[in-house]
Amino acid sequence: MRFVRFSAILICTGLLFGCGTKGDDTKKSELALIKTTNPSPSVLDHRTEKNVDMAEGIKEEIQNYKEIYDAAIIKGDKDILVAYKVKHMYRFQMKKIEKDLKKKLEKKYPDEKFTISSDYKIFLEAVRLQEKMKNPDFSRKEANKKLQDIIKLQQEMT
Amino acid sequence: MSSKQKKKTPEQQKYDILQKKHETKRPVLKNCLRAFLVGGIICTIGQAITYFYIYFFNFTEQTAGNPTVATMVFLAMLLTGFGVYDHIGQYGGAGSAVPVTGFSNAVVSAAIEHRTEGLVLGVGGNIFKLAGSVIVFGVFAAFVVALIKTILINWGVL
Amino acid sequence: MLMGKQSWVFQNKPVIAATGVTGGPFEANGKLAADFDILHDDLWIDEDSYEKAHRVLIEEACETVLKKANLQEEDIHFFIAGDLINQITPTSFSARTNQIPYFGIFGACSTSMEGLALASFMIDHGGAKNIITGSGSHNAAAERQFRYPTEYGGQKPPTAQWTVTGAGFALVKENDGTDENCPVTVSATIGKVVDMGLTDPFNMGGAMAPAATDTILAHFKDLNLDASYYDLIVTGDLGEIGRNTSYELLTNAGVKMDKEKYQDCGLLIYKEDQPVNSGASGSGCSAAVLYGHLLNQMKKGKYKRILVVATGALLSPMSFQQGESIPCIAHAVSIEMP
Repeated sequence: MRFVRFSAILICTGLLFGCGTKGDDTKKSELALIKTTNPSPSVLDHRTEKNVDMAEGIKEEIQNYKEIYDAAIIKGDKDILVAYKVKHMYRFQMKKIEKDLKKKLEKKYPDEKFTISSDYKIFLEAVRLQEKMKNPDFSRKEANKKLQDIIKLQQEMT
Repeated sequence: MSSKQKKKTPEQQKYDILQKKHETKRPVLKNCLRAFLVGGIICTIGQAITYFYIYFFNFTEQTAGNPTVATMVFLAMLLTGFGVYDHIGQYGGAGSAVPVTGFSNAVVSAAIEHRTEGLVLGVGGNIFKLAGSVIVFGVFAAFVVALIKTILINWGVL
Repeated sequence: MLMGKQSWVFQNKPVIAATGVTGGPFEANGKLAADFDILHDDLWIDEDSYEKAHRVLIEEACETVLKKANLQEEDIHFFIAGDLINQITPTSFSARTNQIPYFGIFGACSTSMEGLALASFMIDHGGAKNIITGSGSHNAAAERQFRYPTEYGGQKPPTAQWTVTGAGFALVKENDGTDENCPVTVSATIGKVVDMGLTDPFNMGGAMAPAATDTILAHFKDLNLDASYYDLIVTGDLGEIGRNTSYELLTNAGVKMDKEKYQDCGLLIYKEDQPVNSGASGSGCSAAVLYGHLLNQMKKGKYKRILVVATGALLSPMSFQQGESIPCIAHAVSIEMP
């Protein structure tokens, strides 16, 4: 009787986990949890020299930080999303890193509106968005809308 | 314990010493290791559930806490109902009692037990028999801490 | 007749003519399963509460006694019984069923011997011709009342005991020579409350050991006997710790006996691999083991004279929360084969 109960629980849990798989997730974002994906910074706006340089500049800024080991940067029409992953030992200083990074970026590029986040979900969504953008059918308008969704998600508190 | 000892008569104290010789001591080290193992496994399952919610649903690290706790409470409820959780508790001790699954077990076991006295007086009246202290002291402690924080902020200390 | 300070001698030797023993699933897997008359495979026994199932255990044991003795409820003069549950309701409700004039008694786990002593005294002095006496307990009902809900995952220490789900009842009647090969009660010692200041409700054995020792010593003193008179001295539910502690106390008081002769019902009833920590307990423990296994052994000739000392812890969940220690009591009845 006890064995039947236990196997019933196991099967139910397995089904729950099986229900959630999406078919169109490409490999990179699925492994984002375990590996450093190191995505290149993306620009959603007009691909001008200035914008690309800005995105590369931000990436360099971040690489100066020894506490951060992975970053995804997306520049949209009005905002720039910077999502990063903090090394485990430095997680105690997360708030300090965020404040520091924000100050530095705003000093360097005072005209831009930055949204920075160390949250793993934001990073994951940013990487997924970048992978979607590789698809030529994905319009810039849709990409910007998705970016706005990600920024709104970052602002949720509970 | 020693103040109770002083209230005992010499005859009682003598018996206490004799009795302690025969009393099977709790295996403290073994219990600690088991509790560590069981508690760790429960928390690992909780972390896996958190990542599940981050991956497949629209929760950030910040907001995934709510559904994770709800899922853990639900799982503990199933295990309690199937009569499995008390065996886990006998093995793991504090490891199964301290996480939120222990709280769920306390509430659900009391509810199951008092079904025989009806829904309103039985289940309703007794469901928080064990968890009541947790709730009362938790809320009271939160109130005191919030009060202290408010006072300190007002005085400019914080 | 009064003997010494707190003992009775039954000169007319009331006879235990018939017994009825019922048990639950744990007992069915135990060592003494063959000595039970009725065994159930779940704790609910087709009732919708544990307390009602508790009542059914008692009713079935009484019915078995009557069937074996070939009597009806109308032939029985008194029903002396009790249990652990608040206001001894399961026993009272079973008395409602069998309609026998009822003495409800409470001695916690020593109720069985308290009842047997009183029944023997009444029979011996002509107060009645047939009395049914005994006790029962139910694991889930007792856990609910004294400790935590049964599904709660609290860890029990190794000194804890497991309450027996079972009932043992006996018909005590006046000895008119017609009952062949039936044991008789010879004497009884009524215990007084002994409290050695122990407060841990998970260690009943340690708390009850002094009471058992006190009663056994009083018995030997009042009747001018020693341990060699008995083939077996068995306690009700001291468990591993209580048995070892009381054996040391008795040895220190000058009682000479082999440890083999000094047994405990709580250690006899379950197998080694059943998760019962330090042994069985409950008012049904001493009753079921005595009226089933031990009397069967006596009828087979293994024991001629035994002393049964049922021990009880007279605490309540509230007394413990109010900081009281655990007062205990033990009653002894000696039973012999004629």
